[in-house]
Amino acid sequence: MSDSVLSVRNISKSFGGIHAVRDVSFDVEKGEVLGLIGPNGSGKSTLFNCVLGQLRPDRGEVQINGHRVGNMRASRLNKLGVGRTFQQLSVFPQMSVLDNIILAGQEHHGNMATRLFGPSDAGLTKEADQLIAFFRLEHLRDEMAGSLSYGQQKLVDAAMAFMAGPSLVLLDEPAGGVNLTMLGNLRERLETYNREHGTTFVVIEHNMEFVMSLCTRIIVLAEGAIIAEGTPDEIRSNQQVIDAYLGG
Amino acid sequence: MSEFFQLIVSGLSTGSIYALAAVGFTLLWQASQTINFAQGEFVMLPAFLVLALSVKLGFPLWLAMPLAIILAVLILGVLFKRLVVEPMIKHGTLPLVIATIALGVLLKEMVKEFYSPLGQPFPSLFPQDVVTIFGAVISIPDIANFVIAMGAIVALQLFLGGTRTGRSMQATAQNPDVAQILGVDIKRMVLYTFMINGALAAIASILITPIYLAKFSNGETLGLIAFIAAIVGGFNQIRGALVGGLLIGIIDNLSATYVSAEYRQALPLILLIVIILIRPQGLLGTSEGRTV
Repeated sequence: MSDSVLSVRNISKSFGGIHAVRDVSFDVEKGEVLGLIGPNGSGKSTLFNCVLGQLRPDRGEVQINGHRVGNMRASRLNKLGVGRTFQQLSVFPQMSVLDNIILAGQEHHGNMATRLFGPSDAGLTKEADQLIAFFRLEHLRDEMAGSLSYGQQKLVDAAMAFMAGPSLVLLDEPAGGVNLTMLGNLRERLETYNREHGTTFVVIEHNMEFVMSLCTRIIVLAEGAIIAEGTPDEIRSNQQVIDAYLGG
Repeated sequence: MSEFFQLIVSGLSTGSIYALAAVGFTLLWQASQTINFAQGEFVMLPAFLVLALSVKLGFPLWLAMPLAIILAVLILGVLFKRLVVEPMIKHGTLPLVIATIALGVLLKEMVKEFYSPLGQPFPSLFPQDVVTIFGAVISIPDIANFVIAMGAIVALQLFLGGTRTGRSMQATAQNPDVAQILGVDIKRMVLYTFMINGALAAIASILITPIYLAKFSNGETLGLIAFIAAIVGGFNQIRGALVGGLLIGIIDNLSATYVSAEYRQALPLILLIVIILIRPQGLLGTSEGRTV
């Protein structure tokens, strides 16, 4: 358990009489790309929010890099090495792409004096430029983020998640609303980043093709509980999964 | 022609002071969705702080003015946020708006009751000399007011665009949830915004009060004009508030001379109506989507 980047133990969460998550446990090892899938209402988002400390589970606990999350503030999680992308667009629309990405890393550097009197880029321009190049956004570097297409903003969002050098990145529906060309680019970039840096990913996604091609292991939730776990090939052929998705 | 030029310069001078107050409106709106209807009284009060410090307590003017600015930052920035905005914003924008209206009345009546209901002479920072430029007679205070007010706004823009704290403040204004997740201390950033508004109001107060005398009711007109300037320019853009303030300053001056002094106060309102009808987001503002 202590070697896991993310450890989820016996998490349960109810809303009134509805059991959104029921006794869910799993570990995610360093460098793993875990997909979390399930039909609508299966409890994915509730579980995700429990992992991120945004919802307090009724039972169970979550540890990230050996630290108990509890109701830890999001900013503290970020400083613990947890990056995340959002289902909704989360860029700062009236800032340039470069400024968006610098902002995602600047709170990890310096003190109050350097915030006020230090270099405005916190010495992060080079690092931000590397990420911009990695996500092939060089031509958009100085554009206002709000003027980009939806898919381009998703890429900026992804780049921001990596700026603080996280050990764990949680991707909340990264493929949602992104066109096929951009999607292929995003998947390839995430795979490369994972291979080169050994960063651990947990992905919630509805796009099956995207999940199956990106993830090394998949957990399937239905009615708040884990019904299957395995490699993409094992999940594809699992009858319980097929039934859950087809309502059989 | 020289008279026209003279009026334009004079209009830019008062307009730049209106812009200081209007920028404060936009800052508070962007950072915390606060519409501060006590903004006029925020511009009225620091002049009385200067008078209280210099006349009543005997501080020299050079010391009383910076002290008044510091007091304004604390009272109109920190205390306003802690005692009015934080308890009221939980109940929604409308209760907060009503609370700021009440605060404006309270400040006005307090000054009237505890200082004086009569207009008080207020010392000018600058000699009352004039210079002649292209045949137009321009007063030194007009030039100095414009330079100081614009200097304050430019410094603010440089701070917001050129420092890490400024970037964090912008991020807080544009997307507070995500800014918080990225580690930005959004409560502190919002507090900084309120403190900056207090400082801007104090600078505006020290610049404009020598023109009108220090009077408890000064905030009524100033608040209205600054509010109109912010809407005309674009409530979500600092440069919009700047343009709105300058525009109203010029229109005010030109209309008093070429139209009628009686209707000068009506023209900003007419401009407001026209802008709302033609371009509701303001001259430089952008439309804001709201989920309902």
